[in-house]
Amino acid sequence: MRPPPFLLGAALLFWGWQSGLFLVGALLAVILEGARVFKVRWDFSDEDFNRIWTFCALLLFGALLYAFSTHDGSSSISFLLGDKSPGTAQAASTAGARTIISVICWLPMIFYPFLLLQTYSTRETVPLSTISLILQKRWKKRKRHEPDPTADRGLNVGYPYFCATLLAASFHPANDHSFFWGFCTLLIWALWTHRSRRFGWAVWLGLLLVVAGGSYFGQRSVSRLQQYVANLNPHWFARFTRRNEDANQSRTALGMLGRVKNSGKIVIRTTPHDPTHVPQYLREASYRLYRRQTWLAGSSRDDFQQLYEEAPVEHPGNWTLLPEKTPSATLEIACYLDGYEQDSPVGLLPLPAGTARLENLHAYNLMRNSAGSVRAFGPGLVVFEARYGPGKTIDSPPGTGTVENPETQRLLAEGGRWHHFNNDGSDPAGGRRPRRWNSESNTPFTPPPGWDVPPTVRTNEDLEVPLIEQPALDAILVELQLPDQRLATVLPAVSQFFDTKFKYQTWQTPVRGMSFTNTPLAQFLLTTRAGHCEYFATATALLLRRLGIPTRYAIGYALHEKSGSGYVVRMSDAHAWTLVWDEREKVWRDFDTTPAAWIEVEHQAFSPLQWWSDLGSRIAFEFSKIRNGQSKFQQYLIWLVVPALALLLYQIIFQRGRRRATHSAATMPPPDWPGADSDFYRLEQQLAARGVPREEAEPLRFWLRRALRQPELLALQAPLEELLRLHYRHRFDPLGLGPDERAALRRETEHCLERLSGMAPQPASR
Amino acid sequence: MMNLFLRVLYVGYRAYTRITYWIKRRFTIVGQAVLGATVVALFASTDSDNAVGYQAFMPLAIVVGSALLFGSRWGFRPHFVVERRLPKLATVGHPLTYQVWIKNLTARRQVGLTLIEDLADPRPPFTEWRDYKLDEDKHVRPFRFDRQRYRSPFKYATLRECEVPPTDPQQEQELSFVLHPLRRGLIRFEGFTLGRPDPFGIFRALQRQALPQSILVLPRRYEIPPVALPGTRQYQQGGVTLASHIGQSEEFVALRDYQQGDPLRHIHWRTWAKVDRPIVKEFEDEFFVRHALILDTLTPRPYSDVFEEAVSVAASFACTALTQESLLDLLFVGAEAYSFTAGRGLAHADQMLEILAAVQPCRTPTFTQLEQLVLGHAPMVSGCICVLLAWDEVRQQFIEKLRTLDLPVWVFVIRTATETAPLEPGPMRAAPECLRALTVGRVQEQLAELT
Repeated sequence: MRPPPFLLGAALLFWGWQSGLFLVGALLAVILEGARVFKVRWDFSDEDFNRIWTFCALLLFGALLYAFSTHDGSSSISFLLGDKSPGTAQAASTAGARTIISVICWLPMIFYPFLLLQTYSTRETVPLSTISLILQKRWKKRKRHEPDPTADRGLNVGYPYFCATLLAASFHPANDHSFFWGFCTLLIWALWTHRSRRFGWAVWLGLLLVVAGGSYFGQRSVSRLQQYVANLNPHWFARFTRRNEDANQSRTALGMLGRVKNSGKIVIRTTPHDPTHVPQYLREASYRLYRRQTWLAGSSRDDFQQLYEEAPVEHPGNWTLLPEKTPSATLEIACYLDGYEQDSPVGLLPLPAGTARLENLHAYNLMRNSAGSVRAFGPGLVVFEARYGPGKTIDSPPGTGTVENPETQRLLAEGGRWHHFNNDGSDPAGGRRPRRWNSESNTPFTPPPGWDVPPTVRTNEDLEVPLIEQPALDAILVELQLPDQRLATVLPAVSQFFDTKFKYQTWQTPVRGMSFTNTPLAQFLLTTRAGHCEYFATATALLLRRLGIPTRYAIGYALHEKSGSGYVVRMSDAHAWTLVWDEREKVWRDFDTTPAAWIEVEHQAFSPLQWWSDLGSRIAFEFSKIRNGQSKFQQYLIWLVVPALALLLYQIIFQRGRRRATHSAATMPPPDWPGADSDFYRLEQQLAARGVPREEAEPLRFWLRRALRQPELLALQAPLEELLRLHYRHRFDPLGLGPDERAALRRETEHCLERLSGMAPQPASR
Repeated sequence: MMNLFLRVLYVGYRAYTRITYWIKRRFTIVGQAVLGATVVALFASTDSDNAVGYQAFMPLAIVVGSALLFGSRWGFRPHFVVERRLPKLATVGHPLTYQVWIKNLTARRQVGLTLIEDLADPRPPFTEWRDYKLDEDKHVRPFRFDRQRYRSPFKYATLRECEVPPTDPQQEQELSFVLHPLRRGLIRFEGFTLGRPDPFGIFRALQRQALPQSILVLPRRYEIPPVALPGTRQYQQGGVTLASHIGQSEEFVALRDYQQGDPLRHIHWRTWAKVDRPIVKEFEDEFFVRHALILDTLTPRPYSDVFEEAVSVAASFACTALTQESLLDLLFVGAEAYSFTAGRGLAHADQMLEILAAVQPCRTPTFTQLEQLVLGHAPMVSGCICVLLAWDEVRQQFIEKLRTLDLPVWVFVIRTATETAPLEPGPMRAAPECLRALTVGRVQEQLAELT
């Protein structure tokens, strides 16, 4: 099926107009439609079609690589071709589909050589085996087995190219209705030639009006539908696929029954510059208020501050967190940004304690809050160096931050009430004080003489303990029997207490006699005495707060698994611990009371095929590095693609000619036909050297007759004619020569050659 | 569980084939392209920020929608008489051209119609489909597209539709259809369908009429060079009863006295009148070559190229052997053991080929039945041509038994292209030239090497 005249040219013009490459489109259209004026056609072979198709396929591959590496291929090519229209720039701004869109936009250019080959060839179709590798393989197989196979089926690529051109023309932002009207015109043009002759003009034109009018008004409705579909942003689903911590709150798994189990998926890769200095934890966030099994950022929620690059132009990617601190160690970190906001990946950076500076972090935007969270907007994967050291951190001192925010005030006030919400949010006590205490905590904690235990503070978020949790905490304090209140005494005692009397367990069993005062934390402290890290961290934080020590609840990852020269961090390494304020040093210290066995317990849950998953993770990581521009690969890629394509083009254009030249050379091996090994040809060469060359296509008999006109050759007439007779039999007789005759041909030829060599050379005679 | 899963797949398979069949019949080539473009435009519509593809969706959708309106048979009452002249036989791989006459019985000129032949639904029942799928899972490696069959093994033939030229009232048109048989067996034609396209030429209204007919597709055959088939002439007990005429040979040898039991029609009445005692004519005993063509049908696979090649090789030998002055017994096992004799006027090659066109693989894993059948025939035959599907121990023992009966045997073992190791002669070590391996796809080439 052949497109009607000038349809492809019009489609190319339309594509050029829509994509901002009008000159290119016009040039392509003129060359293509010029075939109607220039009637010269070439007889291209299947091999020629194969080569050009291969070239187009490699061009497509190269375009994919290029667009993929640059991420803004469309704008780049437009820039190269002199088009700086805002439409083109906008088209290149959608990073997610940028590669595909760019390549689709270039499709008319990429496959143009193939269309041109068909247009200027003597045949109207291209062999199907050219396009399909499978068909090509079968065709070759068939050719091997059948000496003269029937011709392969052909395909006119005009209409597929037409569709590709229209598709390419559609990838630009909608500024007006020009695409709509242009598309309708080309569609009607194409359908006109294939209309049914059964119906008259009136019916056809009537339908045409219905289509044009209906689609114009219909597409306005479609744009509304489209807006609805666009709202179903695929990135929205990404929230369910990763851990994606929130800087404002951390909902713990406290109170959940069953096994809390994270996967063994690798999420962070780190390499310490100094192997002797490896941080124990990578913190993502810390929280200040505990409400209903959820830790909240409290007043830190709203105090995110914008960070600025030191020298965005000269040395991009360097960010200072603590200007006055001199870091002593460096850790290279590669992590994914899992969230999605404002059309950009976003996430909390996992950082070692005391991080003062971030280097080579190519983020679009960076923010930090007073709870030590650093939030980055950037590509999906960031690879950077965190420079850190002991001492000061970016966290604000305890008690800082404004609590005048109504939400924070509401939360603080809520902590002073007795009611306890169930996990589903219902309030079983209706906000009233419980009639009785939990049986295990009947004895309230009474501070020993000399202790300075302040009443629960409702103004300091780092000392605030919910009233509902206090009975259980007091019971533990009674059991602890701490000799004094100094940090140096308290921390070892608390650590030993949890280490000896509690155990790590990811499985939580339901407890009988659950009442509204039996919160999950109380169950953990008084009944089960087993839980996962969130229990330990929460209990420790609140317990220390009851002693007047400011604490915060930190989440992040534990760094312990070595891999090559660095460390890998899995989802199962996600961890929670406590930050304790050291009043003397004026710093926050990491304090982890979770029994050390937790790492082993988590790793026991791994599949034996974890290595396979790790391998896939590594490949995905390397791929992601290239995709997100975190590799230097893209800088070199273009220099690899350009010479490869140039070499390929050279091969395609010149190889054929070279082969022909080679064929015409004297070194060409003799063709494989019967009698090719005849010794008579040696005689022919010898006589030619004597000045009697054989003309092209001159029969041997006529040539020999001409040669024998030389008088000195008359003596050889009889043997030469006999040799020619044998040669003809050797050459054309289906039965061929017998062994004796073949030997005679060789022998007599040698004899004649000897006699000829003894004669003086003569000039040629005709 | 697996059965349930396959049943769900089968439902999906039937639904998919039904939809594609419907699309191919209802939509013209242009229509299929427009439909595809509509789907692409629909997907492109999801991103209106960066693409204007959504502007293409509505025109395409309305073109398709308006074409669908013309899909009803409203205003389309074709009254035609169609006659199909179909030959009786066809051969796999050989396109067959046949004619169809169509006469316009309406009062108006008919333009732009399409005639579509309706072949019987080739989709198999669930059990057959399941067996095929399970077998395919076992033997076909995934992601080797060039090695896989690219067409359904259940499809009997391909047949393109034909445009009907403009036809005046009472005018008759002759149309040519080209049938490409893909597999042996019976192809059933159920009727024909006339299609009328919409004004855009993308969707058709259809009118069906029944016109049942059938054609038998014979197995593919190869050219076999003239070979000296094994064996010598053998006395055939009861001899001429199997020859071209009913009774004994026409070759008169002598006269002898009547013995009890001689048929009355053999009495030579003139001599009886001369010598006054009953004299009967004595005829020459019949000696002729009789070959057994043994086709191994025992394979666990419901469909395999190896089996189809075996049938083709057997068909090729049946044609070649029957051109010579000989009898040929075709022996194989299906639901039971079968033996057919052809040659010297008993039956023709066509009949043998018709039998081979219907041979199905025998999936019971025992060779005993075929062995008993062949050994029972062994005393009557001069030689055996065995077409085997494998060269395993059981088959080697079978050949060994034939060899111990001093029967000359030609053995052809059909193999896939991946089996390249030379065959171990085993019982054929005394005559290794009579053991040949034939590779699927190269059978013609290898048969040409026979001398």
